[in-house]
Amino acid sequence: MKLLIFFSLIPLFTAFLIVLLGRLRNQAVLLVTAMSVYLMKIVNASGVVIYKISGWSIPLGVCLVADGLTVFMLCIVNLVALLVIIYSCQYMRGFTDKWKFYSLFMLMLAGMNGIIISGDLFNLYIFLEVASIAAYALVAFGIEPEDLEASFKYAIMGAIASVFILLGIALLYSYTSTLNMADIALIVSGNPGSVLVSFVSVLFLAGFGLKAALVPFHAWLPDAHSSAPSPVSAMLSGVFVKTLGLYALSRVFFNLFSISSGKVFFALMFFGVLSMVVGALLAMAQTDIKRMLAYSTISQVGYIAFAFGVGTPLAIAGGLFHILNHAASKSLLFLNAGAIEHATGTRDINKLGGLNQKIPLVGFTSLFGSMSISGVPPFGGFWSKLMIITAAVQAGHIVFSIVAILVSVLTLVYYLKFQSFVFFGKLRSGMKEDLKSLHFGMKFSMVVLAVICLLTGMVFLPQLKLALDSAVNALLVGNGYGAAVIIQ
Amino acid sequence: MNFFQLFKLDSLNGFVVLAIGFFTVLALVYSSKFMQAKRGLVQYYLYMVITAICAIGAVLTNNLVLLLFFWGILGLTLYLLVNLGGEGANLAAKKTFVIVGGTDALMLLGISILYFLSGSIQMDEINISLTGNSSGLGLAAYLLIAAACFAKAGAMPFHSWIPDCADKAPLPVVAYLPAAVDKLLGIYLLARISLYLFVLSPAVNMFLMIAGAVTIIAAVMMALIQHNMKRLLGYHAVSQVGYMLLGIGTGTAVGIAGAIFHMLNNSIYKQCFFLAAGNVEQKTGTTELNKLGGLAKTMPITYISCLFASFSICGIPPFNGFVSKWMIYQGVIERLSSGFNGLIVAFCLVAAMFGSSLTLASFMKLIHAVFLGQRMNQQENKEISEVKWQMWMPPAILALICVVFGVFANQIPLRYFIQPILGNIVFSGWYAGVTTLIIMIALFSGVVIFYLNTKTVYRKDQAFVGGEALDSDAHAVTGTEFYNTVKDIGLMRMVYKKAEAGVFDIYEQGKKIFRVSDFLRFLHNGIMPTYLIWMLLGMLGLFFFLR
Repeated sequence: MKLLIFFSLIPLFTAFLIVLLGRLRNQAVLLVTAMSVYLMKIVNASGVVIYKISGWSIPLGVCLVADGLTVFMLCIVNLVALLVIIYSCQYMRGFTDKWKFYSLFMLMLAGMNGIIISGDLFNLYIFLEVASIAAYALVAFGIEPEDLEASFKYAIMGAIASVFILLGIALLYSYTSTLNMADIALIVSGNPGSVLVSFVSVLFLAGFGLKAALVPFHAWLPDAHSSAPSPVSAMLSGVFVKTLGLYALSRVFFNLFSISSGKVFFALMFFGVLSMVVGALLAMAQTDIKRMLAYSTISQVGYIAFAFGVGTPLAIAGGLFHILNHAASKSLLFLNAGAIEHATGTRDINKLGGLNQKIPLVGFTSLFGSMSISGVPPFGGFWSKLMIITAAVQAGHIVFSIVAILVSVLTLVYYLKFQSFVFFGKLRSGMKEDLKSLHFGMKFSMVVLAVICLLTGMVFLPQLKLALDSAVNALLVGNGYGAAVIIQ
Repeated sequence: MNFFQLFKLDSLNGFVVLAIGFFTVLALVYSSKFMQAKRGLVQYYLYMVITAICAIGAVLTNNLVLLLFFWGILGLTLYLLVNLGGEGANLAAKKTFVIVGGTDALMLLGISILYFLSGSIQMDEINISLTGNSSGLGLAAYLLIAAACFAKAGAMPFHSWIPDCADKAPLPVVAYLPAAVDKLLGIYLLARISLYLFVLSPAVNMFLMIAGAVTIIAAVMMALIQHNMKRLLGYHAVSQVGYMLLGIGTGTAVGIAGAIFHMLNNSIYKQCFFLAAGNVEQKTGTTELNKLGGLAKTMPITYISCLFASFSICGIPPFNGFVSKWMIYQGVIERLSSGFNGLIVAFCLVAAMFGSSLTLASFMKLIHAVFLGQRMNQQENKEISEVKWQMWMPPAILALICVVFGVFANQIPLRYFIQPILGNIVFSGWYAGVTTLIIMIALFSGVVIFYLNTKTVYRKDQAFVGGEALDSDAHAVTGTEFYNTVKDIGLMRMVYKKAEAGVFDIYEQGKKIFRVSDFLRFLHNGIMPTYLIWMLLGMLGLFFFLR
């Protein structure tokens, strides 16, 4: 399956082409679109698909692997990326040096796709660095003082996390003498309880935990997400933290170490609950829309980590489904925040009001996003919340599920605050005339994402169920992952 | 899964569906005139229709997840509908949805626990006893689901959204949702879980009775001091829920039957009230009691409807409110004799009866201030006429039903709606037909005596003191002032002060959580070494834990 490699090759070469040729941004859109279309072929392929680069056999060469989880994540990442690109074509008009933006954006996408398809731990690390470095630069793209500060903090903390991850990989290499993930899975599964595995687990939890913004490794996120340009925030919150953090974590723990319970998972659950609570409490107190959304991301990532920590099939399904729902709704909300800032020039909740009278489309789409995240039916977030809570209760974690439910009440509170203060109520007098109109591309992206929020509410759609099932199975097979890859 | 397992029609939900359909039709007929020339009409009707469908779905469903699904959508549409109101509606809508949606989340947890305990999400397959020793989780599940019922119906402590919502939302919405359909839903679900899904223990029964009694008294005391018709009615909407809780809490057949009947009656007269308030607002532009008066002459149909509804809510025979309250009292008395904790039951009984008389007091104020008495500005009343038929007909129909359900209580509502649920109820001491006849005779003779006495011719003139004509605007009796004295009675003053400051409001109290947020914000000082230290501490903790 040679197509697999194009997921990172296309954006990678697009990035360099844009740098060389300067003004290729519209073509970039087409390329990403083309790639999303390619996806369909892989979705249809059943079982585990492997591409061995240059034909080297598995433990020797580098390989790319696509199983159910990979396909699931690729779909989410590329779909969101496509919509964000369409949005930014018009949103970024006000910025200079747009080609740099598109080039960095493509690098970030190449990194994310690379992480997902990589079947090799060291390549995973390389792609992780590519994506991270592109993200550091993108956060600073506005070059206002606070952008630079946020980017600096993010870069330092991200670099430390990367060092931990690299150290973990090196130790694992010294233990197993291989970097191929399938090979590691088979070797480690023979001896899962060793001290070294626990040590590496800590390094990975801290490293990937920082990329995923789990409390207490979260402090970079609010600054970075709120000062980046809105399309970048949408990418960072919607898919970036999930790919770099949660996908990598779940791949490592479920498939490489093939553990699905015990202390590591309790730690994951604990960090998840902690992130939920801290993120929600801080989000409540924010008046800046994007900061609120950023803290909300911490809280929701906590939900997903909690679900993975519970570790039962239903919980994993809930967690993965929440990744999809959160990707759709949070990137939608960041695009909404961008549209609000574009139209009114501010994103302070206290200075806004009654925007439904002027830009009802933004109001309705953001209502969809907000309600989906808050877990209100008929949107997707309701079902993922239901799955996660039910699974947690079934597994006997009553206290944690009570906390999770209370956090979902707080989530509803701050999203209602956002809705009520920004879109409903009286239109501020100063805003009657000087609202800028929104362009078609921006509207298109927001509407499509809102429709996705609604469609994911129909959990009984057969396609959705199939995709989710195969993704869950990919995690549940444990070290069967290794066996499946080695056989081919 | 079989489609027919998802929904199930039985004697309890059948008449609730019927009632919801009926209220929907009335609300839509009313809105066709009231909402005219307001913006967002497409949204308004869309949300109303979705609400009706989801309400019927929630009542009919036999599947707990589906129940949760419909229940949640109802909260969302309520939020959107309240937002269509005037100034300040966005904050009322937020408060409404925080309380309603928040308790929905609690119900989600409750249903998860229920599934954990029983292994089924089919409502007719679940039967959990709360009487055993190891029933902690079952009790938690019951209370969590009951919280959602309390919030929907507006019982304390989840009541505080109703007065705000009644004040700010468009009136047909208030009349349709918080006053009628939400009450039906909340009490229906409470009855469903209390009668079918769980076997209640005496302690839970006692809890429900006390919650009911407290709700009755506290809300009616708040209603007494309100100066706005809509807020006053809002507090009564809370107070009446107390009777239903009390009735269900008794656990006796007659008490539960009374509660379910009262649920139906309450939705009927409460919708009538809010529609009448809508008529008043439409014609005068205000619902402040101080500014109204003397509308009985100009809006007779609205007046009569409102009067009948207030007889009903105060429990005056032969109106329907009397019958259901009587049944509830009977249920409580039965408990008293069957060796429950006598003191508490007696307290509940006294609270219910006392609450009824306070209701009468506050409705005397309302009827006097709005329809009788004098208006501050007499001239304005001259221009007022009765509203259009789309607007007077719904309250008139509802008032008529109040009478019919009272006079023919045994023949119509109890026989067709209530008895199929609970079997034949021993219902003593009240023979509606005969009593009505006696009351009619008494009233008729009263009218005759009145007219015999008014043969004397008298002159009507302006009031004057010492030869000087009084400025009637300045000396108009508004009907609210007397009730202000209630506020100044010793201990009451303190309680009222606290109530108005939001001490008993779960929403206002919930805001204290912002202090924790502030502390967390204080910790996030933006200095990177601090953040790095957190990270290292987190890693140290992990190393220690995974050792």
